[in-house]
Order: sequence, then C-alpha cells, then structure tokens
Amino acid sequence: MLKKYPTVRYISQRAIWYFLTFLIALSLNFFLPRFGSDPVDTMMAQAAGGLSLEKAKEMEEGLRLSYGLIVVDKQGNIVRDTVIKIDTVVVRDTIFTTVKESVADSLGNALVNERREIESIVLRETLIERPEAVARKASVVSQLFNYIRQVFKGDLGKSFENGKPVSEIILQALPWTLALQFPAILLGWIFGNSLGALAAYKRGVFDKALFPFALLMSSVPFFVFGMALVYFFGIIWEFFPVAGGVDKSLLSPNFFEFISSAAYHYVLPFFSIFLILAGGQAIGMRSMGIYELGTDYIKYAKWLGLKETRVLAYLFRNAMLPQLTGLALSIGQMVGGALITEMIFSYPGLGFAMLNAITSNDYPVIQGVTLLITTSVLLANFTVDILIALLDPRVKASLSMDSK
Amino acid sequence: MLKLLRNLIKEPMFVIGSFLFLTTILAGLLGPSLYTAHPDAIDSYVQPFKQYELESGKHIKYWLGTDDLGKDYVALLLRGLQNSLYVGFMAGIIATTIGTLVGLFAGFKGGIIDDVLTMFTNLFIVIPSFVVLVLVSASWPEGRSLTLIAILIGLTTWPWTARSVRAQAASLRGRDHISLARINGATNLQIIFKHILPYLASYVFMVFIMQVASGILSESAISMIGLGPVGEGSTSLGVILNIAKDQGALTDKKWWGIFPAAGVITVMVFALYLLNNSMEGVFNPRLRK
Amino acid sequence: MSKILEVKDLSLHYLTRFGQKVHAVTDVSFTMNQGEILGIAGESGCGKSTLVNGLMGLFIPPLYPTGGDVLVSGESLMNRKPEDIRVNVLSQKVSMIPQGAFNALNPTRKIKDIAADVIAAHGSGQSVSKQKIYERLKERFDLFGMDTEHILNSYPIQLTAGERQRSVIGISTLLNPKVVIADEPTSALDVTTQKVVIKMIFELLERNIFSTMIFITHELPLLRHVAHNIAIMYAGEFVEYGTSTQVVHDPRHPYTKALMGAMLSADAGQKHRKPTTIEGAPPSLAKTMVGCRFAERCPSARPECKQKTQSMRMVGERLVRCDYAE
Repeated sequence: MLKKYPTVRYISQRAIWYFLTFLIALSLNFFLPRFGSDPVDTMMAQAAGGLSLEKAKEMEEGLRLSYGLIVVDKQGNIVRDTVIKIDTVVVRDTIFTTVKESVADSLGNALVNERREIESIVLRETLIERPEAVARKASVVSQLFNYIRQVFKGDLGKSFENGKPVSEIILQALPWTLALQFPAILLGWIFGNSLGALAAYKRGVFDKALFPFALLMSSVPFFVFGMALVYFFGIIWEFFPVAGGVDKSLLSPNFFEFISSAAYHYVLPFFSIFLILAGGQAIGMRSMGIYELGTDYIKYAKWLGLKETRVLAYLFRNAMLPQLTGLALSIGQMVGGALITEMIFSYPGLGFAMLNAITSNDYPVIQGVTLLITTSVLLANFTVDILIALLDPRVKASLSMDSK
Repeated sequence: MLKLLRNLIKEPMFVIGSFLFLTTILAGLLGPSLYTAHPDAIDSYVQPFKQYELESGKHIKYWLGTDDLGKDYVALLLRGLQNSLYVGFMAGIIATTIGTLVGLFAGFKGGIIDDVLTMFTNLFIVIPSFVVLVLVSASWPEGRSLTLIAILIGLTTWPWTARSVRAQAASLRGRDHISLARINGATNLQIIFKHILPYLASYVFMVFIMQVASGILSESAISMIGLGPVGEGSTSLGVILNIAKDQGALTDKKWWGIFPAAGVITVMVFALYLLNNSMEGVFNPRLRK
Repeated sequence: MSKILEVKDLSLHYLTRFGQKVHAVTDVSFTMNQGEILGIAGESGCGKSTLVNGLMGLFIPPLYPTGGDVLVSGESLMNRKPEDIRVNVLSQKVSMIPQGAFNALNPTRKIKDIAADVIAAHGSGQSVSKQKIYERLKERFDLFGMDTEHILNSYPIQLTAGERQRSVIGISTLLNPKVVIADEPTSALDVTTQKVVIKMIFELLERNIFSTMIFITHELPLLRHVAHNIAIMYAGEFVEYGTSTQVVHDPRHPYTKALMGAMLSADAGQKHRKPTTIEGAPPSLAKTMVGCRFAERCPSARPECKQKTQSMRMVGERLVRCDYAE
C-alpha cells in the first residue's frame, strides 16, 4: 500500500526506528542510575533524618510505590506478601553448678554442705519465626515497564528536594532552553555553513583569515567560552547581566519590560553557543565545499559560464546536504554543550535545573531532564531525516527505485 | 610514508599543532618533577585566592596565585594537566579500539552483520553521550575515579570512530587486492589485519587524535558540572574550574582561578584539532590546492 | 572559409602548492576554419585538459597563461576579466562537452533547471519567463529524438548514462557556440550509446547548431573517421599536426608512430601486427626541459636529441616536432 508513496514509507520507517531508539534510551535512562545505589535508599538517607520508624517506613513504601518498585493490584492496593521474618532472639541462660562440700565435724561425721553456684552465664541464640505483611518487590523487568508506563503518562516522579512533580519543574525550564538553544543552534549552523562555503569558494585571504579563527573557535569548549564572555562582558566591562534569564528585581513586569529584560539576558548565552557552533560548522563546511568544488558538476557549471552566485548556490546546496546529516548526528553533542552554557550563565533552563539537581543529588529531576534531552534530540534527528529526504533528490530517487 | 611525513613537516598547522601538544605533554610528564610544590599542600597563611604572597619578609611567590584553600595553582594545574591527559588518552584508546574493531568488522563483512552493527552504532550516536555520562556519574557518588570516567567516556564515544572506520573499510572491501587475497585463501582475520588495517592506519590515527580531544573535552565538561573524579590526587583541569567557579572566582574577578586551566584545555584541544586538520590536508590531497 | 579559432604559441602553467611552476602546455599553435573538426590525441596527463581551459580563456588559479594568444573570430581571450570571459565567451563562443557526463550534471537539479541557468547566465539582462525558456529547451531537445518531457523534468540520477550524456551535449550547445570542445565525450559509455552520442553530435553539426569542433580523445580509430585534422600531443607540446589521413596512416614523428603501434594494432588490415608498448613514462613538467621531450623514450633517439630543443617543421606536408623525422 505504501509502495506508491515512497516518501511516506521512508518517513514511517524512520519513525519506527526512532521510536525503538526512544525505548532503548528510556531503558538506559532507567538502568544506568541503578548501576550505583538504590535511588529510594539515597532519598531516604536524605529525607528521613528525623522521622519515626513507622513514619519512615510509610514514606519509604510510598516512594517505592511511586517509583514502581513494588507491585500493585488492579485496585491500586499494594500487594503484600506474607513474609516469614526470622528474628534472632538472644536468651540468657545461667548455668548453675551444685557444689558439694564435705566437711568433717568435730565428731568426725561428715557434713555435707550443699551450695548452688553460678558456673557461667551463657548467651543462647534462638530463632523465632514471625509472619509479616511486606509489599511485594517488583522484578526489574516489571519495574522497567512501570517506569515506561509512568513516563508515557507524563509522570516523571517527584523531586527529592521540594516534592514538586518533576514534570512541573521541566515545564518551567523547557521554554527557556528552547528559546535559547533552538535559535542559537539553527542560526549558528546556517551562519557557520555560509562562512565555510564562502571560504571554500573564495580561498585566498578570506580563507586564510577565517580558517584558523574558526578552528580555534571550534576547539574552545562551550563552558570556557561562556566563562570568558561572563568575565569580560559581564563582570569586567559590565555590558550585560551575567546570570539568570530575566531581571528578578522586576516584581510584576509588564510584557514589554519582561521581553526587553529577557533579551538583555539573552545576548551572552546566545552568542556563546552561536559562535562556537558556527566555528565548528564552518570548518566542516569548508572541507565539504572544497571537496564539492573539485567535482565535475562544479567544473562544468564554470565551463558553461554560469553566474558566480549560481555556482555558489550549487556548491552550498550540495555541500549542505552532508552537513545536514552531520547536524542530525551531532545535535546531541551540541545540546550537551549548550546545556553547560546554561549552567555557566545560570540560565533558568534545563541545564541549570540539571545542575541544581546534580548538586543536591535530586535523582528524579536528573533522570527527568536527561530523558527530555534525549527525547528532544531524537525528535530533532527525526526532523532532519525528513528534511534530507525532502531536500535531496538523490535520496528521493533512491527511495522510489527501492520500491519499484 | 616518508614523503607524507616530509609533506606534513612543511605544513605550518602541523608544526604549530605538534609543538603545542608536545609542550603540554612534556609539561604534564616533567612538570611535577621540575616544579616540586605539592598540589595538595595548603598554605594557610595566604588568604583565599591570592595572586601571590609576600609575607613576613619571606618571598613566597605563587606564579598563578592560590585557590580558595591556599593551594598553589601552578602545582594544581600541572597535576590537572597530567590527569586530563590521562583521561583523554585512556578514553581515546578505548573508543578507538572498540570503534575500529566494530567499524572494520561491519565494513568488511557487509550484509546483515553490517546492518545490525550500523544500526547499533547509529543508535548510540543519536543518544547524547553527555546524558549517559551524567546519568552514570550522578549515580556513582563515591569512587568516581579518573579511570572510571575515562572508561565511561570511551564507552560512549566509540560509535563515532566505528562510523567513520566502517565507511572507509566498506570502500576498501571491493578493491582488487582484497579480492585477490580472498581468492588466495586468506582468512577474514588475515585480510582485515594484513590488507585493510594498514590502509586505514593513518585514518584511524587521525580519528584517534579526535577521540583524545573529545575525551579531554568530555572529562572537563563533566567535571565542570560537578560530576568529575573524586578522591585524592584526581584533580583534573575540569575539577579546578568547577571548584574555582563554585567559590566565586569568576564573579570576584579572580581570573587566575579560571583562565589558566581553561586556557590549557583549549590549547590542548586546539593543538589536536590542528594536527588532525593538517593530516587531513596531506592525506586527502583534494583539500590542499 | 573564415578563421574561427587562432592559437598562437600558447603556453600555460600552473603553480603547485609549494610555488613550483608546472609547464603543462608549451608553444601550441594551430588555426581552425569554420566547419573544421580537429582531433587532439595523447596520453593522459599530456596537457589536453589544461589546453582546454586555455582555449576557453578560463584562467582560474592556480592556472596561468605563460605566453601566446588565443583568438576566437579575431577576438583575443587573453588579459580579459574573468567576468567578461564568463558572460561573452563561455557557452556562446567556446563551449565544452566534458568527459564523464555521469558527474557533470548537478545531482540536485533537474535538467531543465540546469539548462535554464545557462540561458539566464548569458541573457541580456531582461528576465525571460519560465514558460518561454521551457519552450525553447523543448524545441532544442526535441531535435535529438528523445523523450524530451521526461529528460527535462528529471534529476540526473533518474536518467540513463546515454540520456545524461545527450543532455550534456544539449546544454553545452544550447547557445549555438562558435567552437565546441568535446573532451572524450564517449569515454565511459558502452558501444551502442557511444554510437548514439556520435550520431547526435553529427546531427547538430548538420543542422548548423555549431560547425567547428575540437574533439579530444585517446581513441584514434574514432578520430580518424570524425576529424579533418589531427594533432598529437606529448608532454604539453603538439608533436605532429596534419590531416587525419596523414597522421593516422602515415605518421612521421616517432611518438605518433609508437602511438599508432600501440593503438591501431587491433584495427582491420593491421591484424598481423602485434600491439607495441612505449617504454618509460613522460617527463615531469615541473622541471625546465632542454632537448626533445620524447628523447628518453624514443626508439630512434640520437645523442644530440637530449640537448637540442625541437621545433615544429614541415615534413611530408604536415608539421612535425622532430629534426630527424622524414
């Protein structure tokens, strides 16, 4: 049925692949933290400091329930197993010895003096069996399914720190991250690729000046560049604010005040992501462009006397396609770096939420944020895949040939 | 080979890159024995973040000042450099070994094995390695050693090597000398090690260089956000930055807490990128012109 | 007959990355009249492709003219601005049919769009409607007896090798160029397709789409049937230049003789001859050369050949670059 629509078929194939990848990422998100310690134990150690034993137990059970670590029946009640708990009771036994002392009296009759003496005190262990109802532990597999089910319900657990639902924390941070990273990565990609293509085409002085600079930019780690911007533009020269997404002293800002303050705070983090990304892209595009310049179709276009802008358009478009594939592959790395930039600027996005969670060992938040990052990266990848299929006639043609 | 080397030496990028990188390696190896101050020695006389100290007529000079506790930054930097290099190389070796084996196997075998391995590789490429690093490191609050972090990085970055090696190996697969070897009854292993690997050696080396750079970067990134190595003597450049930032070195204008360490990381990575790019230029003549 | 193309002592060099001069073409001279077909043959690396760029006035660094002149209809191509060459010479005066049409077409552009780019690049400035351009293309492509609609609306990858090569010929000759340079237009094609392509070129000639052609190939048997005159190139120089009958059936330069021995042995009538090979390799063009460039490999070389630079001279009614040829 789908054979008639190769593009649709391709997109649905990719969708299935990404969905499987998502499930695997989900499992990783579930299993990786369990390499270390039991999250509930960690939480209890943190939270249950001053609680009574009963309260602590209740809380622990509640947590285990909410993390899908224990089994629940259809009505939602905790399934309890009767577990025979074996307690060791230590019994103190005293062993007496009768000491008989024979003493002869003056008549020579033997008098027997009988006396009980404690010979020793023995500690004896006795095992006492005691039945108790204990919540049934879920197997790892069913824990995983519980986790997946909860994730699909949108339930990512609650923060250890303040008990807020993780989804709420994420929803607060997400708009900031999207507003910062999406334009910065997209524009950085476009800008870097344009520069790279131009350097490949022009060579000469432009290339010689741009190339080392772009190479240097691409080797500066995100956080180093971020800190340099903060230090010089924020602290030494005080051009821009160094932390936050908006001025907190504005108590009830109107729309315009909010936007202008947000824009002011936006400049440094944006450029720190944008420039580094552009550097890396320019390097990649330059080599791609030089490669494409050597191809026959560019030579032919020049022989035909096509306009320079047209040849450049050929070059850019065709070198861009592999760069687009490169974008799909490295978007995860870019987002990782951009998150660290958020941390440096205390920008109220996901990166900062994650940093806070890391410093306070707030595991559910860390896990929730990482899951969201993975999901968005996969979505971005999927989008790029579709774009490539739409933009590259070679892919299109090969798709329709496959289905013949 | 000799000719390639001669061409490389003519390349300014290669000369600058190898000079910078050899300098950092030498500093990491020899530094601690030349600059004998102990990185963990705390000078309790100095105030937090002193640039240098002149005290009671005695000249105690810290070239790059001290950290918040009064530890000598030069000594810390040297140790950090050593540790960062260790992690970079270790991660690079792990990633290159796994990646090369997977890539060679997939590219050489082709068919279903290739499909499965490629899918596996792509899967781990799209799942951000940063996320995996954060998840594992965060759940490992104790005993996060340099080696553990290096292994983690290596285990998350190999797919990049595998991907590029696979492409190269696949292009070699159809070459005549491979078919000839096969006709002559060479086993797969023999073909891979005798006929494919030598062709890819320079390529694998270039990828290795990039993996070392990415190892150094990943380690400093993960340390920067407070998930770096813990334990005595495991201070890395990222850890220095993390501590300095937490102690407000940035906002207090204590530049020496941030920029020397940040600079060393950048120089190392830049040097490796230069090396890689210059080699690409020589091995791939089209880029020259 | 009017002179269409005059090449006078054309020498070209390019610079290597380390500033070394490579003299790819040295002192090439010839004249072409309207309606003439000149074949150029030689080993790969003999400077044919560099010569092509020179004949179009396309000096893109690192290629530079060393000296000489190229005149098309009496107009020199030397010392002109690249933009001037692009607008006024390429596609209109001199056009090129490249080898390996497989990759010559931009893979992400439909044939009609590539062709429209050519028209747009040499238009008089006013924009022509897409519809008009398409009609013009259709009219021209219909001449070739092909499925025009299909070809024009396809991406290169959707076409067969033959269709692609014919598209290239159609695009290169779209603006009725005065001189067409065909650089191995049939290499990498199967025999049937080769025939179709050659037929197409001759149809274009008959219909006066263009009339003067330089045909570069290493397939001498083909050249003998196609070309009026043939030039043999070796190490950047013409070594023999005469009519095709003279050059093919009665070669005088030792290199031409050796070349014929290597190439024509399978041809009819010469079956008894064993294919011969030419020992050695052409000299490096990066060095300044003294003496005959073929001397190292020449079977009839004399000691003085290595010292004395040879120049073209008339031998048996054609030009030969050998003092001892008879």
